[in-house]
Amino acid sequence: MSSVTEQSKLTAAPSIKIEFRLNGIPQKRDVPVNWTLLRLLRDDLGFLGTKCGCEIGECGACTVLFDRRAVNACLVLAPQIDGAEIWTIEGLAEPGAARLHPIQEAFIKYGAVHCGFCTPGVVMSVLALLLENKNPDEEEIKSALAGNLCRCTGYKQIIDAVKSAAESIGAEDLVKFGVNAGGRK
Amino acid sequence: MINVIQYIRPRNIDEAIERMAADELVPIAGGTDLIPQLRRGRSCRLLDIGRLTLGFIEDIGDWIEVGAATSHAEIARSKLIGKCLPLLGRACGLIGSAQIRNRGTIGGNIANASPCADSVPALLIYDAELKLLSRSGERRIKLAEFISGPYRTNRRPDELIVSILCRKNIPTTGNAFIKLGRRQAVNISRMSIAAIIEMGADRIIGSARLAASSVFPVSSRMPEVERMLYGATATPELFRIAGEVAAETMVAKSGRRWSTPYKEPVLIGLTERALTEAADL
Repeated sequence: MSSVTEQSKLTAAPSIKIEFRLNGIPQKRDVPVNWTLLRLLRDDLGFLGTKCGCEIGECGACTVLFDRRAVNACLVLAPQIDGAEIWTIEGLAEPGAARLHPIQEAFIKYGAVHCGFCTPGVVMSVLALLLENKNPDEEEIKSALAGNLCRCTGYKQIIDAVKSAAESIGAEDLVKFGVNAGGRK
Repeated sequence: MINVIQYIRPRNIDEAIERMAADELVPIAGGTDLIPQLRRGRSCRLLDIGRLTLGFIEDIGDWIEVGAATSHAEIARSKLIGKCLPLLGRACGLIGSAQIRNRGTIGGNIANASPCADSVPALLIYDAELKLLSRSGERRIKLAEFISGPYRTNRRPDELIVSILCRKNIPTTGNAFIKLGRRQAVNISRMSIAAIIEMGADRIIGSARLAASSVFPVSSRMPEVERMLYGATATPELFRIAGEVAAETMVAKSGRRWSTPYKEPVLIGLTERALTEAADL
């Protein structure tokens, strides 16, 4: 079959209405059923902080929170987030605040950002870890970040930044992500 | 581009079953295996079962029942699994990455039937059985009979995997699960092996169970090795020989393939290590 036919078949993918919360704000979208959450965030909503890397769940650059858990946005179909709570890197710092979120501040302090491409995904994995475990040890940190590839830092600075963030972070820095909510079991 | 022709989200299991009887639908839960396949060109009509009541872990007497849409992360975190099915908890805790474990499900791992699926050797050790549901009713089948080949199962197109049952009181004094890959994270297994041993203070083995992935065309137990361990005294020499028997069985069943020169010594070593760990030698 010609690629033109293939393309027209693909663009004809049906749409579905979904409602969800993005960074605490209710959203309603009409989304093609073959779109991923990653594509919805970047191409429709213009949230470019979530990076598009491998698109097969290997690199972690597209990590976001889906009902308080870290997931690869490239492996979630947009229709699947109906009713869900999604947080992206744009939601971390309070709008207009003088400082970034403590996790972001720790990454700057420890030089855990080089080219920066992996950083939003890494930060979201760290957030998911700290929501579940306030005092992670080094093994727990490594395990939580095993799905995030960084080709610049060698991870040392990232791990140091996570340890520092875990010490400085308070309940008030986590509460808006639903730290005490039960979430879905 | 991902080719999804249709996306259906049923409100309950009954509706899911009706839909599957009417149309050729592919169930999707976490999508961690399926979405990369869709990206590679597979096209399908999807039935999203991720929101049905298929995420649970329950003690039902002699068995632990795990809902098909229970995530690997939930299984790895579960105290009940840790207590009754420790090998399954460990295997699920080593799948992919935190992100993959949060989405990927046990039912999906089985339905995808990859020869290197990490949960399968552990499930085989616990005599796992599947509960399938269709409009014609419930069907229960042993996992060992369900997976019919690499990426092939005996699921009828109208059937939905609803749960996996594992026998809970298999006599055990020690167990081990070893996963081998090219690197430690986001790793597709090169081979994995699960083992349990039951023995007395005299080190005489009452029973042993071993299962491996990526060794045979379909993950399976190793009865040849289990038989030679029965009644023998646990020693390093015995476990070395057990490894050699495992490797001979692999060649007999899978033939000599391009990977055999690698897998033979690796299987000997992994079998030996798993048994040594399980026997606490």
